Amino acid sequence: MTALLSVRDLHVWLDTARGPLSIVDGVSFDVAAGQVFGLAGESGSGKTITALALLGLLPAGARTGGSAIMAGRDILAMRSSARRRTRGREIAMVFQDPTSSLHPMLTIERQLTEHLRYQLGLSGKEAHRRAVALLTDVRIPDPEAAMRGYPHQFSGGMRQRIQIAIGLACEPRLLVADEPTTALDVTVQAGILRLLHRLCQEKNLSVILITHDLGVLSSLADTVTVMYAGRVAESGPTAQVMGHARHPYTRGLVDALPHPEAGDRALVPIAGDPAGPESRPSGCAFHPRCRYSKPSCRIAIPPLIRIDDGREMACPVDPLVASIAR
Amino acid sequence: MSTAAFLSRPMSSAWRRIPGAWRQPLTMVGLVVVAAWLAVAVLAPWIAPHDPLAQGPNLYQAPSATHLLGTDELGRDVFSRVLWGARISIPLAMLLVVLAFMIGGTLGGLAGYLGGWVDELVMRGADFVFAVPTILLAMAVVAALGPGLFHAVLAVVLVSWPGHARVVRGLVRTIMQSEYVAVGRLLGSPIHRALAVDVLPNIAGPVSVLAALETGNAILLLSALSFLGLGARPPDPEWGSMVSTGAQHFEAWWIGVFPGIAIVSIVLAFNFLGDSLRDAFDPKTIIKARGA
Amino acid sequence: MFLCLGVSVMAFVLTTVVPGDPALANLGDRASSDPEAVRLYREHFGLDKPLPVQYVVYLGNLLHGDLGESEQSRRAVRIDLAEYIPATAELAISSMVLAILLGVSLGVIAALRRNRLTDQIIRVVSLGGMSTPQFWLALVALYVFFYKLNWVPGSGRLDAIVLPPPHLTGLFTIDALAAGQFEVFANSLQHLILPACVLAAFNMGLFTRFTRSAVLEVLENDYVRTARAKGLPELTVVFRHVLRAASPPIVTVVGLAFGNVMTGTVLVENIFSWPGIGQYSYRSATGLDLTAIVGVMLFVAIVYILVNMVVDILYAVIDPRVGLA
Repeated sequence: MTALLSVRDLHVWLDTARGPLSIVDGVSFDVAAGQVFGLAGESGSGKTITALALLGLLPAGARTGGSAIMAGRDILAMRSSARRRTRGREIAMVFQDPTSSLHPMLTIERQLTEHLRYQLGLSGKEAHRRAVALLTDVRIPDPEAAMRGYPHQFSGGMRQRIQIAIGLACEPRLLVADEPTTALDVTVQAGILRLLHRLCQEKNLSVILITHDLGVLSSLADTVTVMYAGRVAESGPTAQVMGHARHPYTRGLVDALPHPEAGDRALVPIAGDPAGPESRPSGCAFHPRCRYSKPSCRIAIPPLIRIDDGREMACPVDPLVASIAR
Repeated sequence: MSTAAFLSRPMSSAWRRIPGAWRQPLTMVGLVVVAAWLAVAVLAPWIAPHDPLAQGPNLYQAPSATHLLGTDELGRDVFSRVLWGARISIPLAMLLVVLAFMIGGTLGGLAGYLGGWVDELVMRGADFVFAVPTILLAMAVVAALGPGLFHAVLAVVLVSWPGHARVVRGLVRTIMQSEYVAVGRLLGSPIHRALAVDVLPNIAGPVSVLAALETGNAILLLSALSFLGLGARPPDPEWGSMVSTGAQHFEAWWIGVFPGIAIVSIVLAFNFLGDSLRDAFDPKTIIKARGA
Repeated sequence: MFLCLGVSVMAFVLTTVVPGDPALANLGDRASSDPEAVRLYREHFGLDKPLPVQYVVYLGNLLHGDLGESEQSRRAVRIDLAEYIPATAELAISSMVLAILLGVSLGVIAALRRNRLTDQIIRVVSLGGMSTPQFWLALVALYVFFYKLNWVPGSGRLDAIVLPPPHLTGLFTIDALAAGQFEVFANSLQHLILPACVLAAFNMGLFTRFTRSAVLEVLENDYVRTARAKGLPELTVVFRHVLRAASPPIVTVVGLAFGNVMTGTVLVENIFSWPGIGQYSYRSATGLDLTAIVGVMLFVAIVYILVNMVVDILYAVIDPRVGLA
């Protein structure tokens, strides 16, 4: 497995009136070429900020630390002009809400072709042809007519397909999809996920799929990293992490999922609220909500430890062992 | 949602954000300058070195130790006249804003509360005032009633009530249409109570912004009318008419320049205050209400 | 339509229910010595009839495009207006163009540099423009650039020895260019520049404030992030994406300012001896010239209505979601 992108010890701080606030606190992961990498976690866990840090689109007042090596270059260390050229061309991003993420007053053609022309230097005609091909690729009916349309004339699912087409226009090798289905109707979600899966295979595209929906991940992601409060809780191949969760938080997430095959087994919610960056608990940030927490969890931040077959997790308590011991 | 939620400023009530506004240096400058001019307006008789109307033997004297800002074409002390000018412009402008608020607030409140043709009539009237340039309307009023400071004040009130009317009408309507009031009605609580409880506290913010900005505008408009000879008449030490005198005596630039600086300083100070207050409150209501 | 009617009624009432008697004001000393002249004057202008009759007659004439006869110039108000409007149009339009260019750019810069030093400086400059009395600014500008430095002429639209260019639009700069008279063009530009700049100051400040807040609001939107994620250069993002979305409120305030630019022209035209309707209306107001004032008000109301229509059309052009009514 060759890594397209290697993120090591990524930190993001946001300057506030009360000093720097740590939002992402030492996150590492690899994204393999042609695979879907899932980044999971609740709101405020730092997953969107991680993605924005990779694209260099962090809000003003944010600083990064660590490295993100892509094709031998550290994209976090690049100058802003070089960084800008990677956007769209090497890493593209699809945002959560296709309604607010498309410019309401510009035609689809304009939004699809402007970076083709700027980034790849295509002529108007070439860009137009390419854009039509892209719309066909994402299964937009009557692409020529769609080119002349405006976002408000399309349904949510269609808008998301257009957003994906915009993201793919300059043939990036990595597509970051931030909650691409959250704002959509359930019936439309599956279509978008199938589209991402197909593009991934056809174009040898890598995808970072950011979501709080483990169901989405389990159907699509090859590997998954679960984040909690800016840190990695657990990571590894999707089937293993989902099937045999070891970290109490991952386990909580999995238990909170409805399983069709599990019949009428009761859903188990995770007690408490996720910790925002302003109010992170000391030690393991999950300890106030953790069923297995020990006094030491309040003091020491548990290190990420390697457990068999490429899996890692950050918890000294193995819930499997703990639950047996009870 | 995820991270965007905490990146955006947490919602807090507008009043709580005001302390932040006060910390801005420009707000402090505005506050200090307005306070200083208010003090000057009150204390002018005691701090002005000369009688503002007393003519002296020294005409067209450049600024010097005896006449800090020089003397005018009748040998009057420009510095004293500028100080006394504060006693005319500032109280008048404030009176005017209060009048405009009383008229505009009443009309706007009625329009929002009653709706229907009353609303239509009041808002058409406001549109009309917006459609006619303020000074043209003011000139027409003054021409109709004859020049004079009091008539100029009336003219400015006539052109400045619509801003207040729009703010008050907007708030009244928002609250009348809120579910909260609808529920209250179902439960038998009279709408008057909702208006008294909700409108009055909510109105304080937008109105204070509007008042600060309008006070500055009122001073500008009053002085412009006086400059045109339609407001204060000589020998009153009104800033606009002093500038007008200065316009006829270019060689003695100090006659016209200093009263102008007085106008700029106080209007700018009010605008600093209004601008910071606007940042603190919801900016949109005021933008809509003020029009231009 | 309502506005036109409203303006005519209001202006009519305002200037007719006057303590001042136009006959006395215009005849001066003759009025007291010669009662017959007063009677003839009133008869000539229909002032002896009851007010409602005067108004109906007036309104009927209006519909024929007849604004009545000015009591001061003894000419049809329509002719007076036609003579003075081009001068004001030239002044107002050039000042608006200046104010829009400066105001929008400063507003964009201020928004992009929010709360930094640049933003504060622009705040002071723009609020300064809105706080400076135009009559005083005009005088200071005249004093410095005409009286002291003598860089520009102090009054009028052209030097006395320069003949106006052949009439085309009535805007001397454009007419001169069209006729290829470049010296006339240069001369008219020299006369135009100072009053136009003075007139632009207030609106420049206004547009800066509005552009800043509109751009700040747009910058929060997700589609700006999308544009950046495409790797577009920041200038493209700002001018194509942000400014486009921020333009509706800017267009609104520009439209309103256009309606109100006459306020400034009254003052500025008087100081720069600019032969436009600002000066004309001032003369009419001081001379209690009822028909002339009403004529000017009607004209301004019509301009206001036209500008509003243009604003509505621009809305639809800018934003495809807005349908043309």
